Amino acid sequence: MKILVPIKRVADPDNANKVKISGDGTEVTSEGLEWKMNPFDEWSLEAALRLTEDGKTKSRVGEVVVVSIGPKDAVATIRQGLAMGAERGILVEGEDKKLDALVVAKILQKIVEKENPDLVVLGKQTVDGDSNLVGTYLAEFLGWPVANYATSIRTSDDGKTLTIVRELDTGAATLEVKGPAVITTSDRILHPHAVKNGVTPDDFAYPESEGGRYASLKGIMAAKKKPVEETSAAALGVDAAPQVSYVSFKLPPARSGSTTFVESAAELVQKLRNEAKVL
Amino acid sequence: MDFRFNEEQLELGRAARRFLEVESSSERVRAAMESERGFDPAVYKRIAEELGWLAVTIPEEYEGLGLGAVDLMPILEEMGRFLYCGPFFSTICLGVNALLLGGDDAQKGELLPYVARGETTLTLAHAEARAKWDSAEIECEYEKRGDDYVLSGEKRYVLDGLTADRVVVAARAKGSKGAEGISLFLVSGEADGLSKSHLPTVDMTRREAALTFREVHVARDALVGEEGAGHALLERILDRARAALAVEQVGGAERCLDMAVAYSLERKQFGRVIGSFQAIKHMAADMLWRVENARSIAYAANVAVDAGDDAEIAEMASAAKATASTAFFQNAADNIQIHGGVGFTWEFDPHLYFKRAKASEEHFGSPAMHRERVARAMGL
Repeated sequence: MKILVPIKRVADPDNANKVKISGDGTEVTSEGLEWKMNPFDEWSLEAALRLTEDGKTKSRVGEVVVVSIGPKDAVATIRQGLAMGAERGILVEGEDKKLDALVVAKILQKIVEKENPDLVVLGKQTVDGDSNLVGTYLAEFLGWPVANYATSIRTSDDGKTLTIVRELDTGAATLEVKGPAVITTSDRILHPHAVKNGVTPDDFAYPESEGGRYASLKGIMAAKKKPVEETSAAALGVDAAPQVSYVSFKLPPARSGSTTFVESAAELVQKLRNEAKVL
Repeated sequence: MDFRFNEEQLELGRAARRFLEVESSSERVRAAMESERGFDPAVYKRIAEELGWLAVTIPEEYEGLGLGAVDLMPILEEMGRFLYCGPFFSTICLGVNALLLGGDDAQKGELLPYVARGETTLTLAHAEARAKWDSAEIECEYEKRGDDYVLSGEKRYVLDGLTADRVVVAARAKGSKGAEGISLFLVSGEADGLSKSHLPTVDMTRREAALTFREVHVARDALVGEEGAGHALLERILDRARAALAVEQVGGAERCLDMAVAYSLERKQFGRVIGSFQAIKHMAADMLWRVENARSIAYAANVAVDAGDDAEIAEMASAAKATASTAFFQNAADNIQIHGGVGFTWEFDPHLYFKRAKASEEHFGSPAMHRERVARAMGL
């Protein structure tokens, strides 16, 4: 099975207090920010690696290609993906501010047409833009089925048919999807039994984890020799302009930090209605 | 010197930080401190099996990766940053170095593959009751009886000595004096006649032990290096450990700075965050230059280790150990100052770093001893 996993570098969400806005308020500046792989993408990469390996023997039985769109230094994020176990990387050079969900989906469409993967597995959203659109756009452009917010993926025929459980506000829906398909994942995809590929023994449990696997030293050394292809939107024949323009940014107001204690539920309701004005 | 990490070393550092910020978080460190062994064996197993860090400096013929001291630095720095509790330093920077520098093929073949897999831990027993790190002052004795060597004496401040599977013990031939007659022996942690006890120190994040040898018999093949040539070998082992510990101290010193800055941007007095006061800014600036100064020299010492010139290593290791010890201790103290009253409460972490800094400062020789050693090396 061949899986394409788009990964994006984002400002470290644990250091959100370092996020600053440019003087004219038109952009979020990247100065002094530490970059991390978007956590949702990291979980998707973990799911893709589990789909393409024998979890018990750790041998690879498929191929994972990671692709990132961004400035040249986004290659560090690709290397991280390769160190985790992906086979190849593709960097599509681009400026962050010239990208939106539509442009990203168009670029990914071209990559998919070139690579012909059995699946595209990606994070349901990124923690910076939070737009939650790329997976659905991409499926639409490709004419492929899409399963969003997957909490489990089961296949035993190399991705041709997939049984996917989707997370819904009201519960969970189980779908049967014919590949090739686009899947976006939720954090529950990291559950020890969430991914079954017919190769890893059914009773095998991955360790409990809050993120993707850590890159081993051997993985890091091996990543050095793995190929990373560099290309650009223009070279791929994508000539799309962002449809979204940001007018202004501002930081949320500082919290006062004060705590008000109330004596009764009635007083609480009164304060929420009259002071906080949230009821 | 133009030094920079290559992409693999940078990624190793990032991976180490990602792993340790979870597995060596404040909660995990405190749980390890309270535990019987002083560390979580499950995390150590993951370090071996999942991450492969124990294999870094072990040669490829013994199932390692055959890399050098510089490749180990990103791991050690993050371990220092997060006060990792576990026998990594003692096993790799003391035990493995002893075997690589003095061990024969049989000893290396018998132990190193198991160390790489995380199945065997090692340490070095050097200092004694007088807490001297001068190898010429070793009092623990051995004598030859038939084909065996018999060890007697007491060792203290043995890092992870309570849990180590094998201990490299420094002892002198009965009746010898000074640098003469020192030999190293590989002793099982379960040897007859060896009693071990926990030696509580201020630093609860790194376990130390007192080991008492009462007529402990070891076979001839337990000798590490040549008989009587242990003094020079010990110095070579210790210098590599000093260079490694300096990197760990840099990680701790930088974490103290990060904690202090974060707190100073959160804590308000007189309607402003305290980080806006010049007195705090000056302290933070001093903390930063201490980190950068210590980092430069600690990295240089490990570059010297990989280059392999023993005289250069000795001088650089002492310079690094003295500088990094002072930087870590002073930064840990300043971190408490900037935190104010909460800085020395049990619930806040600055005291953990202060105590690690104090203990690390004394391991393998105090800053004063190392400054003296550098002065001598420079012919002063």
